[in-house]
Amino acid sequence: MRELELYFGPQHLGMVGNFSITLNVEGDRIIKAASNPGYLHRGFEKLMEYRTWIQNFTLVCRINVIEPDSMELMYSMAVEDLAGIEVPERAEYIRSIYLELARIGSHLFGLWAYANMLGFDTVANWAMYHRDLILDLFEEITGARVYHMYIWPGGVRRDFPKGLKGRIVKTLHKIGSGVPDYDDTFFNSRLFYDRAKNVGTVTRKQALEMGAVGQVLRATGMKYDIRKIEPYAAYDKVDWAIPTREDGDAYSRIWVVRDEMIESVHMIFKLLDDMPDGSVYNRIPNPFKWKVPAGETYVRCESSRGELGLYMASNGGDKPYRVHFNTPSYSHGLTILEEVLKGESIADVGNIMMSLYIVAPEIDR
Amino acid sequence: MNQELKKKINSSFPSAKISLPNESRVVIEVNRDAIISVLSFLKNMGYEHLSMVSCVDWIKEDEFELIYFLNAYMENDEEYGEIEKSTILLKTMISRKEAKYITAIGIFASAEPYEREIHELFGIYFEGHPRLTHLLLERDYEIPPFRKDFDTRKYVKEFYEEIPFVEDREEGKE
Repeated sequence: MRELELYFGPQHLGMVGNFSITLNVEGDRIIKAASNPGYLHRGFEKLMEYRTWIQNFTLVCRINVIEPDSMELMYSMAVEDLAGIEVPERAEYIRSIYLELARIGSHLFGLWAYANMLGFDTVANWAMYHRDLILDLFEEITGARVYHMYIWPGGVRRDFPKGLKGRIVKTLHKIGSGVPDYDDTFFNSRLFYDRAKNVGTVTRKQALEMGAVGQVLRATGMKYDIRKIEPYAAYDKVDWAIPTREDGDAYSRIWVVRDEMIESVHMIFKLLDDMPDGSVYNRIPNPFKWKVPAGETYVRCESSRGELGLYMASNGGDKPYRVHFNTPSYSHGLTILEEVLKGESIADVGNIMMSLYIVAPEIDR
Repeated sequence: MNQELKKKINSSFPSAKISLPNESRVVIEVNRDAIISVLSFLKNMGYEHLSMVSCVDWIKEDEFELIYFLNAYMENDEEYGEIEKSTILLKTMISRKEAKYITAIGIFASAEPYEREIHELFGIYFEGHPRLTHLLLERDYEIPPFRKDFDTRKYVKEFYEEIPFVEDREEGKE
């Protein structure tokens, strides 16, 4: 059969996000795939070298549109490390609760994209509605729905409003009450099984060779999670588990995502109960005249997509000298996707891409 | 744990400068010729996850700094050991005048897109890389844009000010 070159995305109907893949196909089978990012490249890392330490907060959260909060955390942790700022205990708890809410919101968004891709429109709409309830909570905490700029060097910008605990619990119960419906309609459905089982399999060997992190690695059975390995915020204060699956295919990855959401809800309940009183913010020097001591640091955390890192260097000035984000979608979207697509059918490109949980802005930055 | 690692590296590579800024970070500085052998040494020690390759342009010193970030995957799937906690920052300096280096793809397959990115944004050529094509940018710049002598503000001014504003045209200024 004749080999053809097919441009998949960024305008293709089966593509979510500003991303494109060049496929070499023979009939319906993919022989070779080449990722083609760059549609969203805004040079954030370069722009950050022109802005003061505090001004950069409005940029970092735009790196991952769906879950901006772990980016804020990374930037704050790096600046705290360089400038030697301590974070109060209550702020650590607030950060953890806030980040877990963000994780649930991000997973619901991912579920929307994935269910939509497979044609489960009802489930997709539920997921979007439930994410919106979480955005309502964010609006109350931070004043903004999507880009919050809430985590700050030295803590968080402000304390939780009065009575928020009850409203978080109520919202999470409401989302949790939807789990049986989700399971009946989607997760235990035969259609989902047939579409996703043994599709886009990343074996353990491939995952280790190509630098997989997050769900891609956890779907092969390894409990690799930075929240446990190198605990930050308040993750070492409460007890929680890491869900895994064995097979490494799209089906396993989406199940890991589902189990993670439920685990996050339980973790938030525990954190809310244990939360100490006290201040949420240690004062930083005047941001307009703030010079951070020269040095370099590398910090990492577990975002909803996997291990997220940040290398930051300062030369003692009022702006960062170099900022470089290590994002999980980078290896997933550029190395693993190209490898996994080989031999799959064109109809499964979106399926595999969404199950690998790739967000294009994280690759482009 | 990290002290032991320091001893082991020192005995194999006496010229390497090793510092331990905190309990979970190891910074190793080596000569530019030694990177590939140190990388494969560390991979055999269990640091088999190359999580990032970064580059810093130290323009005053007239040098590029290449940094390889190494982590370890878990030895078994359930328990956490000490080795996963540490991140290794393996560094080397290369001259800005001769921006050339050797690829690490032979040891770590995940280095491929990072080296492409550095080639594009800093203009460092990686010998032996099979695909040093454009990754993110769509234009060919004289100075690679992430170098410190590329002035973004000046570039934006020159690039966009040639295009007239709509208001100017309406008022017949042109």
